[in-house]
Amino acid sequence: MITFENVTKIYKAETPALDNVSVDIDKGEFVFLVGSSGSGKTTFLRLLLREEAPSKGRIIEAGRDLGSLPKWRVPFLRRNIGCVFQDFRLLPNKSVFENVAFALEVIGRPKSVVKSQVPQVLELVGLGQKMERLPSELSGGEQQRVAVARAFVNRPLILLADEPTGNLDPTTSEGIMTLLDRINRTGTTVVMATHDKQMVDRMRRRVLELDHGVLVRDQSRGVYGIDDSAGSQA
Amino acid sequence: MPNFSDYAFRETVSNLWRNRLMTIAAILTVTISLTLVGAALLLKQGAANAAQIWQRDTQVSVWMAPTASPSEIAAVGSQLNQLPYVRACVYRGQAYDYEEARKLLTPAEFSVLRVGDMPTSYRCTPLQSQDAQIIVNRFMTQPGVQNVRAPLQQIHAMQQTITVLQWVFLVIALVLLLSAAVLIINTIRLAIFARRREISVMKLVGATNWFIRIPFMAEGLTQGILGSGFAALLVYGLHVWLNALGNPNNPNAILTQISVHGWQMFWTEAVLFGFGALIGGVGSSLAIRRFLDV
Ligand SMILES: Nc1ncnc2c1ncn2[C@@H]1O[C@H](COP(=O)(O)OP(=O)(O)OP(=O)(O)O)[C@@H](O)[C@H]1O
Ligand SMILES: [Mg+2]
Repeated sequence: MITFENVTKIYKAETPALDNVSVDIDKGEFVFLVGSSGSGKTTFLRLLLREEAPSKGRIIEAGRDLGSLPKWRVPFLRRNIGCVFQDFRLLPNKSVFENVAFALEVIGRPKSVVKSQVPQVLELVGLGQKMERLPSELSGGEQQRVAVARAFVNRPLILLADEPTGNLDPTTSEGIMTLLDRINRTGTTVVMATHDKQMVDRMRRRVLELDHGVLVRDQSRGVYGIDDSAGSQA
Repeated sequence: MPNFSDYAFRETVSNLWRNRLMTIAAILTVTISLTLVGAALLLKQGAANAAQIWQRDTQVSVWMAPTASPSEIAAVGSQLNQLPYVRACVYRGQAYDYEEARKLLTPAEFSVLRVGDMPTSYRCTPLQSQDAQIIVNRFMTQPGVQNVRAPLQQIHAMQQTITVLQWVFLVIALVLLLSAAVLIINTIRLAIFARRREISVMKLVGATNWFIRIPFMAEGLTQGILGSGFAALLVYGLHVWLNALGNPNNPNAILTQISVHGWQMFWTEAVLFGFGALIGGVGSSLAIRRFLDV
Protein backbone atom coordinates (compact mmCIF):
# COMPACT_ATOMS: atom_id res chain seq x y z
CA MET A 1 0.00 0.00 0.00
CA ILE A 2 2.85 2.38 0.91
CA THR A 3 6.46 2.00 -0.20
CA PHE A 4 9.36 4.35 0.57
CA GLU A 5 12.51 3.66 -1.45
CA ASN A 6 15.58 5.49 -0.15
CA VAL A 7 13.54 8.61 0.51
CA THR A 8 15.40 11.73 1.59
CA LYS A 9 13.71 15.03 2.29
CA ILE A 10 15.77 18.19 2.71
CA TYR A 11 13.77 21.35 3.33
CA LYS A 12 16.63 23.81 3.19
CA ALA A 13 20.29 23.23 2.68
CA GLU A 14 20.65 21.89 6.22
CA THR A 15 20.38 18.44 7.72
CA PRO A 16 17.70 16.28 6.11
CA ALA A 17 14.27 15.95 7.78
CA LEU A 18 14.14 12.41 6.40
CA ASP A 19 17.35 10.58 5.62
CA ASN A 20 17.38 7.65 3.20
CA VAL A 21 14.22 6.02 4.55
CA SER A 22 13.08 2.73 3.03
CA VAL A 23 9.97 0.99 4.31
CA ASP A 24 7.03 -1.10 3.11
CA ILE A 25 3.57 -0.87 4.64
CA ASP A 26 0.99 -3.41 3.54
CA LYS A 27 -2.70 -2.96 3.04
CA GLY A 28 -4.62 -3.11 6.29
CA GLU A 29 -1.60 -2.57 8.54
CA PHE A 30 -1.64 -0.31 11.60
CA VAL A 31 1.65 1.53 12.01
CA PHE A 32 2.85 3.81 14.81
CA LEU A 33 5.38 6.46 13.87
CA VAL A 34 7.43 7.47 16.88
CA GLY A 35 10.48 9.59 17.58
CA SER A 36 11.42 12.72 19.45
CA SER A 37 10.27 16.12 18.37
CA GLY A 38 11.75 17.14 15.02
CA SER A 39 12.66 13.58 14.08
CA GLY A 40 10.63 13.76 10.84
CA LYS A 41 7.24 12.16 11.63
CA THR A 42 5.15 14.99 10.21
CA THR A 43 7.44 15.16 7.20
CA PHE A 44 6.80 11.46 6.59
CA LEU A 45 3.04 12.08 6.56
CA ARG A 46 3.30 15.23 4.44
CA LEU A 47 5.18 13.27 1.80
CA LEU A 48 2.33 10.73 1.77
CA LEU A 49 -0.17 13.57 1.31
CA ARG A 50 1.95 14.90 -1.52
CA GLU A 51 2.13 18.23 0.28
CA GLU A 52 5.86 17.90 -0.18
CA ALA A 53 7.91 16.01 -2.74
CA PRO A 54 10.95 13.94 -1.70
CA SER A 55 14.35 15.41 -2.50
CA LYS A 56 15.60 11.94 -3.37
CA GLY A 57 14.08 8.49 -3.64
CA ARG A 58 10.71 7.12 -4.65
CA ILE A 59 7.32 6.82 -2.93
CA ILE A 60 4.66 4.43 -4.16
CA GLU A 61 1.25 4.82 -2.59
CA ALA A 62 -2.01 3.03 -3.43
CA GLY A 63 -0.33 1.69 -6.55
CA ARG A 64 0.83 5.10 -7.81
CA ASP A 65 4.37 6.42 -8.08
CA LEU A 66 4.08 9.88 -6.52
CA GLY A 67 7.11 11.11 -8.43
CA SER A 68 5.38 10.69 -11.77
CA LEU A 69 1.96 11.82 -10.54
CA PRO A 70 1.01 15.06 -12.34
CA LYS A 71 -0.02 17.95 -10.14
CA TRP A 72 -3.63 17.87 -11.26
CA ARG A 73 -3.94 14.23 -10.14
CA VAL A 74 -2.94 15.05 -6.56
CA PRO A 75 -6.54 15.82 -5.43
CA PHE A 76 -7.61 12.41 -6.72
CA LEU A 77 -4.80 10.77 -4.78
CA ARG A 78 -5.97 12.57 -1.64
CA ARG A 79 -9.48 11.21 -2.04
CA ASN A 80 -7.96 7.85 -1.10
CA ILE A 81 -6.29 9.27 1.99
CA GLY A 82 -8.02 10.39 5.16
CA CYS A 83 -6.27 12.76 7.53
CA VAL A 84 -6.54 13.59 11.23
CA PHE A 85 -4.48 16.19 13.07
CA GLN A 86 -3.71 17.17 16.61
CA ASP A 87 -5.67 20.41 16.22
CA PHE A 88 -8.82 18.79 14.68
CA ARG A 89 -9.09 21.42 11.88
CA LEU A 90 -12.87 21.60 11.94
CA LEU A 91 -14.75 24.50 10.41
CA PRO A 92 -16.08 26.48 13.38
CA ASN A 93 -19.12 27.94 11.64
CA LYS A 94 -20.40 24.60 10.34
CA SER A 95 -22.30 22.02 12.36
CA VAL A 96 -20.97 18.53 12.99
CA PHE A 97 -23.08 17.22 10.12
CA GLU A 98 -21.97 20.01 7.78
CA ASN A 99 -18.31 19.53 8.63
CA VAL A 100 -18.45 15.91 7.59
CA ALA A 101 -20.75 16.58 4.63
CA PHE A 102 -18.33 19.26 3.38
CA ALA A 103 -15.69 16.61 2.69
CA LEU A 104 -18.10 14.82 0.36
CA GLU A 105 -19.61 17.92 -1.22
CA VAL A 106 -16.32 19.44 -2.31
CA ILE A 107 -15.36 16.29 -4.19
CA GLY A 108 -18.68 16.40 -6.02
CA ARG A 109 -20.53 13.57 -4.32
CA PRO A 110 -24.27 13.76 -4.95
CA LYS A 111 -26.63 14.94 -2.23
CA SER A 112 -28.15 11.50 -1.83
CA VAL A 113 -24.74 10.03 -0.96
CA VAL A 114 -24.13 12.84 1.52
CA LYS A 115 -27.51 12.25 3.15
CA SER A 116 -26.90 8.55 3.66
CA GLN A 117 -23.16 8.45 4.40
CA VAL A 118 -22.79 11.29 6.88
CA PRO A 119 -25.26 10.07 9.54
CA GLN A 120 -23.87 6.58 9.17
CA VAL A 121 -20.27 7.60 9.84
CA LEU A 122 -21.33 9.94 12.67
CA GLU A 123 -23.14 7.00 14.22
CA LEU A 124 -19.92 4.98 13.89
CA VAL A 125 -17.91 7.58 15.85
CA GLY A 126 -20.66 7.85 18.47
CA LEU A 127 -21.96 11.32 17.58
CA GLY A 128 -25.28 10.31 16.07
CA GLN A 129 -27.10 12.41 18.66
CA LYS A 130 -25.00 15.57 18.23
CA MET A 131 -25.08 16.15 14.49
CA GLU A 132 -26.51 19.67 14.73
CA ARG A 133 -24.01 20.98 17.27
CA LEU A 134 -21.23 23.40 16.41
CA PRO A 135 -17.65 22.27 17.12
CA SER A 136 -17.44 24.88 19.90
CA GLU A 137 -20.27 23.03 21.66
CA LEU A 138 -18.28 19.78 21.81
CA SER A 139 -15.49 18.47 24.04
CA GLY A 140 -12.01 18.02 22.55
CA GLY A 141 -12.52 14.28 22.27
CA GLU A 142 -15.82 14.75 20.49
CA GLN A 143 -14.26 17.26 18.12
CA GLN A 144 -11.57 14.76 17.25
CA ARG A 145 -14.27 12.17 16.59
CA VAL A 146 -15.84 14.55 14.10
CA ALA A 147 -12.43 14.93 12.45
CA VAL A 148 -12.10 11.14 12.28
CA ALA A 149 -15.58 10.89 10.80
CA ARG A 150 -14.65 13.48 8.18
CA ALA A 151 -11.45 11.59 7.33
CA PHE A 152 -13.27 8.29 7.04
CA VAL A 153 -16.54 9.29 5.40
CA ASN A 154 -15.17 8.77 1.88
CA ARG A 155 -13.88 5.27 2.86
CA PRO A 156 -10.21 6.01 2.16
CA LEU A 157 -7.65 3.28 1.61
CA ILE A 158 -5.24 4.99 3.97
CA LEU A 159 -5.80 6.99 7.14
CA LEU A 160 -2.99 9.27 8.31
CA ALA A 161 -3.08 10.63 11.85
CA ASP A 162 -0.55 13.17 13.15
CA GLU A 163 -0.64 13.05 16.97
CA PRO A 164 -4.43 12.74 17.01
CA THR A 165 -4.46 12.36 20.79
CA GLY A 166 -1.86 15.05 21.45
CA ASN A 167 -4.45 17.45 22.89
CA LEU A 168 -6.55 14.89 24.76
CA ASP A 169 -6.50 13.36 28.21
CA PRO A 170 -5.67 9.63 28.53
CA THR A 171 -9.25 8.39 28.81
CA THR A 172 -10.41 10.39 25.83
CA SER A 173 -7.33 9.32 23.90
CA GLU A 174 -8.30 5.76 24.58
CA GLY A 175 -11.64 6.35 22.89
CA ILE A 176 -10.04 7.84 19.79
CA MET A 177 -7.55 5.00 19.69
CA THR A 178 -10.36 2.44 19.83
CA LEU A 179 -12.04 4.26 16.98
CA LEU A 180 -8.92 4.23 14.80
CA ASP A 181 -8.48 0.57 15.61
CA ARG A 182 -12.04 -0.13 14.52
CA ILE A 183 -11.45 1.76 11.28
CA ASN A 184 -8.27 -0.25 10.75
CA ARG A 185 -10.28 -3.45 11.09
CA THR A 186 -12.42 -2.41 8.11
CA GLY A 187 -9.28 -2.85 6.02
CA THR A 188 -8.06 0.75 6.06
CA THR A 189 -4.31 1.15 6.40
CA VAL A 190 -3.56 3.47 9.35
CA VAL A 191 -0.33 5.40 9.92
CA MET A 192 -0.29 7.30 13.19
CA ALA A 193 2.46 9.59 14.45
CA THR A 194 2.38 9.81 18.23
CA HIS A 195 4.20 10.63 21.43
CA ASP A 196 1.78 8.57 23.51
CA LYS A 197 3.98 5.90 25.08
CA GLN A 198 1.24 4.11 27.02
CA MET A 199 -0.92 3.75 23.98
CA VAL A 200 1.83 2.36 21.76
CA ASP A 201 2.91 -0.05 24.45
CA ARG A 202 -0.65 -1.22 25.04
CA MET A 203 -1.65 -1.65 21.38
CA ARG A 204 1.44 -3.64 20.35
CA ARG A 205 1.32 -2.78 16.68
CA ARG A 206 4.08 -2.21 14.18
CA VAL A 207 6.34 0.68 15.26
CA LEU A 208 8.60 2.80 13.05
CA GLU A 209 11.01 4.97 14.98
CA LEU A 210 12.69 7.98 13.43
CA ASP A 211 15.71 9.73 14.86
CA HIS A 212 16.90 12.90 13.14
CA GLY A 213 15.26 11.70 9.97
CA VAL A 214 16.82 8.24 10.06
CA LEU A 215 14.60 5.17 10.40
CA VAL A 216 16.28 3.54 13.39
CA ARG A 217 13.70 0.91 14.24
CA ASP A 218 11.03 -1.09 12.40
CA GLN A 219 9.41 -3.42 14.86
CA SER A 220 6.29 -5.48 14.46
CA ARG A 221 4.11 -5.68 17.59
CA GLY A 222 6.50 -3.06 18.97
CA VAL A 223 6.68 -0.68 21.90
CA TYR A 224 7.28 3.06 22.21
CA GLY A 225 10.78 3.26 23.71
CA ILE A 226 13.80 1.35 22.48
CA ASP A 227 14.97 0.84 26.07
CA ASP A 228 11.97 -1.41 26.58
CA SER A 229 13.99 -3.64 24.20
CA ALA A 230 11.14 -6.09 23.70
CA GLY A 231 11.88 -7.70 20.35
CA SER A 232 13.83 -4.75 18.96
CA GLN A 233 15.22 -5.29 15.48
CA ALA A 234 16.59 -1.82 14.68
CA MET B 1 -22.65 18.67 -11.83
CA PRO B 2 -25.67 20.53 -10.37
CA ASN B 3 -24.17 20.03 -6.94
CA PHE B 4 -21.14 22.02 -7.96
CA SER B 5 -22.85 24.93 -9.65
CA ASP B 6 -25.03 25.15 -6.59
CA TYR B 7 -21.99 25.22 -4.35
CA ALA B 8 -20.07 27.68 -6.53
CA PHE B 9 -23.04 30.03 -6.66
CA ARG B 10 -23.55 29.96 -2.89
CA GLU B 11 -19.85 30.51 -2.23
CA THR B 12 -19.61 33.37 -4.72
CA VAL B 13 -22.60 35.21 -3.31
CA SER B 14 -21.43 34.76 0.25
CA ASN B 15 -17.91 35.95 -0.64
CA LEU B 16 -19.32 39.03 -2.32
CA TRP B 17 -21.59 39.74 0.62
CA ARG B 18 -18.87 39.20 3.19
CA ASN B 19 -16.64 41.78 1.45
CA ARG B 20 -19.47 44.04 0.41
CA LEU B 21 -17.68 47.35 1.01
CA MET B 22 -14.67 46.32 -1.00
CA THR B 23 -16.96 44.79 -3.60
CA ILE B 24 -18.89 48.03 -3.99
CA ALA B 25 -15.65 50.00 -4.28
CA ALA B 26 -14.37 47.64 -6.95
CA ILE B 27 -17.63 47.70 -8.91
CA LEU B 28 -17.82 51.50 -8.74
CA THR B 29 -14.28 51.88 -9.97
CA VAL B 30 -14.92 49.50 -12.84
CA THR B 31 -18.11 51.44 -13.62
CA ILE B 32 -16.43 54.84 -13.67
CA SER B 33 -13.43 53.73 -15.67
CA LEU B 34 -15.50 51.85 -18.22
CA THR B 35 -17.92 54.76 -18.53
CA LEU B 36 -14.94 56.90 -19.48
CA VAL B 37 -13.78 54.26 -21.94
CA GLY B 38 -17.29 54.18 -23.40
CA ALA B 39 -17.47 57.97 -23.61
CA ALA B 40 -14.09 58.05 -25.36
CA LEU B 41 -15.26 55.40 -27.81
CA LEU B 42 -18.48 57.30 -28.51
CA LEU B 43 -16.51 60.51 -29.06
CA LYS B 44 -14.14 58.78 -31.41
CA GLN B 45 -16.93 57.28 -33.49
CA GLY B 46 -18.98 60.45 -33.33
CA ALA B 47 -16.01 62.49 -34.50
CA ALA B 48 -15.49 60.11 -37.37
CA ASN B 49 -19.16 60.39 -38.33
CA ALA B 50 -19.04 64.18 -38.08
CA ALA B 51 -15.83 64.37 -40.10
CA GLN B 52 -17.56 62.53 -42.91
CA ILE B 53 -20.42 65.02 -42.90
CA TRP B 54 -18.03 67.97 -42.71
CA GLN B 55 -15.83 66.70 -45.48
CA ARG B 56 -18.79 66.05 -47.69
CA ASP B 57 -19.80 69.64 -47.08
CA THR B 58 -16.41 71.27 -47.33
CA GLN B 59 -17.35 73.94 -49.73
CA VAL B 60 -14.95 76.61 -50.76
CA SER B 61 -16.70 79.89 -51.36
CA VAL B 62 -15.01 82.28 -53.75
CA TRP B 63 -16.64 85.66 -53.10
CA MET B 64 -16.49 88.12 -55.96
CA ALA B 65 -16.04 91.79 -55.29
CA PRO B 66 -19.18 93.89 -55.95
CA THR B 67 -17.05 95.83 -58.41
CA ALA B 68 -16.01 92.76 -60.42
CA SER B 69 -16.75 92.98 -64.12
CA PRO B 70 -18.72 90.21 -65.83
CA SER B 71 -15.58 89.11 -67.69
CA GLU B 72 -13.62 88.78 -64.45
CA ILE B 73 -16.45 86.70 -62.99
CA ALA B 74 -16.50 84.50 -66.07
CA ALA B 75 -12.67 84.11 -66.01
CA VAL B 76 -12.71 82.94 -62.41
CA GLY B 77 -15.54 80.54 -63.19
CA SER B 78 -13.78 78.90 -66.13
CA GLN B 79 -10.47 78.62 -64.23
CA LEU B 80 -12.20 76.99 -61.29
CA ASN B 81 -13.90 74.45 -63.51
CA GLN B 82 -10.61 73.51 -65.17
CA LEU B 83 -8.89 72.61 -61.91
CA PRO B 84 -8.40 68.82 -61.67
CA TYR B 85 -9.03 68.72 -57.91
CA VAL B 86 -12.35 70.49 -58.02
CA ARG B 87 -15.33 68.27 -58.36
CA ALA B 88 -17.89 70.88 -59.21
CA CYS B 89 -18.57 74.57 -58.91
CA VAL B 90 -21.83 76.43 -58.93
CA TYR B 91 -22.31 80.11 -59.42
CA ARG B 92 -24.58 81.83 -56.94
CA GLY B 93 -26.00 85.05 -58.26
CA GLN B 94 -27.27 87.98 -56.24
CA ALA B 95 -30.85 86.68 -56.21
CA TYR B 96 -29.75 83.39 -54.65
CA ASP B 97 -27.81 85.04 -51.88
CA TYR B 98 -30.68 87.38 -51.27
CA GLU B 99 -32.93 84.37 -50.65
CA GLU B 100 -30.28 82.76 -48.43
CA ALA B 101 -30.10 85.94 -46.39
CA ARG B 102 -33.85 85.91 -45.96
CA LYS B 103 -33.57 82.51 -44.31
CA LEU B 104 -30.66 83.35 -42.07
CA LEU B 105 -31.50 86.86 -40.88
CA THR B 106 -34.28 88.29 -38.74
CA PRO B 107 -36.94 90.23 -40.69
CA ALA B 108 -35.65 93.53 -39.25
CA GLU B 109 -32.11 92.88 -40.39
CA PHE B 110 -33.29 91.54 -43.72
CA SER B 111 -35.43 94.52 -44.51
CA VAL B 112 -32.41 96.80 -44.98
CA LEU B 113 -30.83 94.54 -47.63
CA ARG B 114 -31.17 95.21 -51.36
CA VAL B 115 -30.63 92.62 -54.04
CA GLY B 116 -28.06 94.86 -55.65
CA ASP B 117 -25.93 94.87 -52.45
CA MET B 118 -25.54 91.13 -52.42
CA PRO B 119 -22.16 89.70 -53.38
CA THR B 120 -21.95 86.90 -55.90
CA SER B 121 -19.92 83.76 -55.36
CA TYR B 122 -18.74 80.44 -56.67
CA ARG B 123 -19.37 77.46 -54.33
CA CYS B 124 -16.89 74.71 -55.11
CA THR B 125 -16.59 71.19 -53.73
CA PRO B 126 -13.00 69.91 -53.89
CA LEU B 127 -12.38 66.24 -54.56
CA GLN B 128 -10.57 66.02 -51.25
CA SER B 129 -11.07 68.37 -48.37
CA GLN B 130 -7.32 69.02 -48.10
CA ASP B 131 -7.38 70.59 -51.57
CA ALA B 132 -9.60 73.36 -50.29
CA GLN B 133 -6.55 75.21 -48.97
CA ILE B 134 -4.96 75.23 -52.45
CA ILE B 135 -8.04 76.90 -53.88
CA VAL B 136 -7.94 79.47 -51.12
CA ASN B 137 -4.28 80.31 -51.83
CA ARG B 138 -4.71 80.38 -55.57
CA PHE B 139 -7.77 82.63 -55.93
CA MET B 140 -7.16 85.04 -53.06
CA THR B 141 -5.17 87.39 -55.34
CA GLN B 142 -7.20 86.90 -58.52
CA PRO B 143 -8.61 90.18 -59.94
CA GLY B 144 -12.26 90.66 -59.09
CA VAL B 145 -12.10 88.25 -56.12
CA GLN B 146 -12.88 89.77 -52.79
CA ASN B 147 -12.38 86.81 -50.49
CA VAL B 148 -12.03 83.01 -50.47
CA ARG B 149 -13.32 81.05 -47.53
CA ALA B 150 -13.05 77.40 -46.55
CA PRO B 151 -14.32 76.12 -43.18
CA LEU B 152 -11.01 74.32 -42.70
CA GLN B 153 -9.61 75.90 -39.58
CA GLN B 154 -12.83 75.33 -37.69
CA ILE B 155 -12.99 71.68 -38.66
CA HIS B 156 -9.38 71.23 -37.76
CA ALA B 157 -9.77 72.83 -34.36
CA MET B 158 -12.86 70.78 -33.68
CA GLN B 159 -11.17 67.54 -34.59
CA GLN B 160 -8.17 68.40 -32.47
CA THR B 161 -10.34 69.15 -29.47
CA ILE B 162 -12.12 65.86 -29.87
CA THR B 163 -8.84 63.97 -30.21
CA VAL B 164 -7.40 65.58 -27.09
CA LEU B 165 -10.60 64.91 -25.16
CA GLN B 166 -10.53 61.31 -26.32
CA TRP B 167 -6.97 60.80 -25.10
CA VAL B 168 -7.66 62.47 -21.78
CA PHE B 169 -10.63 60.15 -21.27
CA LEU B 170 -8.61 57.12 -22.26
CA VAL B 171 -5.68 57.94 -19.96
CA ILE B 172 -7.95 58.57 -16.99
CA ALA B 173 -9.85 55.40 -17.85
CA LEU B 174 -6.61 53.42 -17.99
CA VAL B 175 -5.51 54.66 -14.57
CA LEU B 176 -8.94 53.85 -13.16
CA LEU B 177 -8.96 50.44 -14.80
CA LEU B 178 -5.65 49.69 -13.10
CA SER B 179 -7.02 50.73 -9.74
CA ALA B 180 -10.13 48.66 -10.43
CA ALA B 181 -7.90 45.66 -11.05
CA VAL B 182 -6.06 46.31 -7.79
CA LEU B 183 -9.36 46.58 -5.93
CA ILE B 184 -10.61 43.35 -7.44
CA ILE B 185 -7.36 41.59 -6.53
CA ASN B 186 -7.70 42.90 -3.02
CA THR B 187 -11.31 41.80 -2.53
CA ILE B 188 -10.39 38.34 -3.72
CA ARG B 189 -7.36 38.28 -1.46
CA LEU B 190 -9.68 39.10 1.46
CA ALA B 191 -12.14 36.43 0.35
CA ILE B 192 -9.35 33.87 0.14
CA PHE B 193 -8.11 34.91 3.56
CA ALA B 194 -11.59 34.64 5.06
CA ARG B 195 -11.90 31.16 3.55
CA ARG B 196 -8.44 29.86 4.43
CA ARG B 197 -9.74 27.13 6.77
CA GLU B 198 -12.25 25.88 4.22
CA ILE B 199 -9.59 25.97 1.52
CA SER B 200 -7.13 23.93 3.58
CA VAL B 201 -9.81 21.34 4.34
CA MET B 202 -10.81 21.23 0.69
CA LYS B 203 -7.22 20.57 -0.35
CA LEU B 204 -6.92 17.89 2.28
CA VAL B 205 -9.99 15.93 1.24
CA GLY B 206 -9.12 16.14 -2.45
CA ALA B 207 -11.19 18.93 -3.96
CA THR B 208 -9.80 19.72 -7.40
CA ASN B 209 -7.96 22.97 -7.98
CA TRP B 210 -10.72 24.24 -10.23
CA PHE B 211 -13.35 23.44 -7.67
CA ILE B 212 -11.48 25.61 -5.19
CA ARG B 213 -10.71 28.38 -7.66
CA ILE B 214 -13.99 28.82 -9.48
CA PRO B 215 -15.92 30.63 -6.73
CA PHE B 216 -13.11 33.20 -6.53
CA MET B 217 -12.92 33.51 -10.31
CA ALA B 218 -16.68 33.96 -10.35
CA GLU B 219 -16.37 36.65 -7.71
CA GLY B 220 -13.90 38.67 -9.81
CA LEU B 221 -15.93 38.15 -12.97
CA THR B 222 -19.11 39.22 -11.20
CA GLN B 223 -17.48 42.44 -10.07
CA GLY B 224 -16.09 43.17 -13.53
CA ILE B 225 -19.33 42.37 -15.33
CA LEU B 226 -21.55 44.22 -12.86
CA GLY B 227 -19.26 47.23 -13.20
CA SER B 228 -19.40 47.07 -16.98
CA GLY B 229 -23.18 46.63 -16.84
CA PHE B 230 -23.57 49.88 -14.91
CA ALA B 231 -21.08 51.56 -17.24
CA ALA B 232 -23.06 50.34 -20.25
CA LEU B 233 -26.21 51.86 -18.77
CA LEU B 234 -24.47 55.17 -18.09
CA VAL B 235 -22.96 55.30 -21.57
CA TYR B 236 -26.32 54.52 -23.11
CA GLY B 237 -27.84 57.26 -20.99
CA LEU B 238 -25.16 59.65 -22.22
CA HIS B 239 -25.94 58.67 -25.80
CA VAL B 240 -29.66 59.27 -25.32
CA TRP B 241 -29.02 62.55 -23.55
CA LEU B 242 -26.70 63.85 -26.26
CA ASN B 243 -29.21 62.85 -28.91
CA ALA B 244 -31.90 64.75 -27.05
CA LEU B 245 -29.65 67.81 -26.81
CA GLY B 246 -28.75 67.68 -30.48
CA ASN B 247 -31.66 68.96 -32.55
CA PRO B 248 -32.52 66.28 -35.10
CA ASN B 249 -34.17 68.90 -37.32
CA ASN B 250 -30.95 70.84 -37.59
CA PRO B 251 -28.38 68.75 -39.42
CA ASN B 252 -25.80 71.46 -38.85
CA ALA B 253 -25.81 71.21 -35.04
CA ILE B 254 -22.57 69.69 -33.85
CA LEU B 255 -24.28 67.41 -31.32
CA THR B 256 -26.32 65.96 -34.15
CA GLN B 257 -23.29 65.52 -36.30
CA ILE B 258 -21.22 63.71 -33.69
CA SER B 259 -24.01 61.35 -32.66
CA VAL B 260 -23.40 57.66 -33.31
CA HIS B 261 -25.47 55.04 -35.06
CA GLY B 262 -27.35 52.29 -33.21
CA TRP B 263 -24.94 49.56 -34.28
CA GLN B 264 -21.98 51.65 -33.15
CA MET B 265 -23.66 51.97 -29.76
CA PHE B 266 -24.17 48.22 -29.66
CA TRP B 267 -20.50 47.52 -30.34
CA THR B 268 -19.41 50.09 -27.81
CA GLU B 269 -21.51 48.38 -25.15
CA ALA B 270 -20.17 44.99 -26.20
CA VAL B 271 -16.61 46.29 -25.87
CA LEU B 272 -17.41 47.57 -22.38
CA PHE B 273 -18.73 44.18 -21.30
CA GLY B 274 -15.64 42.58 -22.80
CA PHE B 275 -13.40 44.92 -20.83
CA GLY B 276 -15.37 44.30 -17.64
CA ALA B 277 -15.08 40.55 -17.98
CA LEU B 278 -11.40 40.89 -18.87
CA ILE B 279 -10.54 43.04 -15.88
CA GLY B 280 -12.51 40.76 -13.54
CA GLY B 281 -10.93 37.65 -15.01
CA VAL B 282 -7.39 38.98 -15.02
CA GLY B 283 -7.78 40.43 -11.51
CA SER B 284 -9.08 37.21 -10.03
CA SER B 285 -6.53 35.07 -11.88
CA LEU B 286 -3.72 37.20 -10.52
CA ALA B 287 -5.15 37.05 -7.00
CA ILE B 288 -5.61 33.30 -7.21
CA ARG B 289 -2.15 32.75 -8.56
CA ARG B 290 -0.65 34.97 -5.93
CA PHE B 291 -2.70 34.12 -2.83
CA LEU B 292 -4.35 30.76 -3.42
CA ASP B 293 -1.67 28.14 -3.18
CA VAL B 294 -3.30 25.31 -5.11
N1 LIG C 1 8.27 23.46 6.09
C1 LIG C 1 9.48 23.27 6.63
N2 LIG C 1 10.53 24.03 6.24
C2 LIG C 1 11.76 23.84 6.76
N3 LIG C 1 12.03 22.92 7.69
C3 LIG C 1 11.04 22.13 8.13
C4 LIG C 1 9.71 22.28 7.63
N4 LIG C 1 8.92 21.36 8.23
C5 LIG C 1 9.73 20.69 9.08
N5 LIG C 1 11.00 21.14 9.03
C6 LIG C 1 12.15 20.60 9.77
O1 LIG C 1 12.25 19.24 9.50
C7 LIG C 1 12.54 18.51 10.70
C8 LIG C 1 11.49 17.45 10.94
O2 LIG C 1 10.27 18.09 11.24
P1 LIG C 1 8.93 17.29 11.48
O3 LIG C 1 7.82 18.29 11.56
O4 LIG C 1 8.80 16.24 10.44
O5 LIG C 1 9.17 16.64 12.90
P2 LIG C 1 8.17 15.83 13.83
O6 LIG C 1 8.78 14.52 14.04
O7 LIG C 1 6.80 15.87 13.25
O8 LIG C 1 8.21 16.68 15.15
P3 LIG C 1 7.06 16.85 16.26
O9 LIG C 1 7.02 15.61 17.06
O10 LIG C 1 7.53 18.02 17.08
O11 LIG C 1 5.79 17.13 15.53
C9 LIG C 1 12.65 19.54 11.80
O12 LIG C 1 14.02 19.83 12.00
C10 LIG C 1 11.93 20.74 11.27
O13 LIG C 1 12.52 21.92 11.75
MG1 LIG D 1 4.94 16.69 13.87
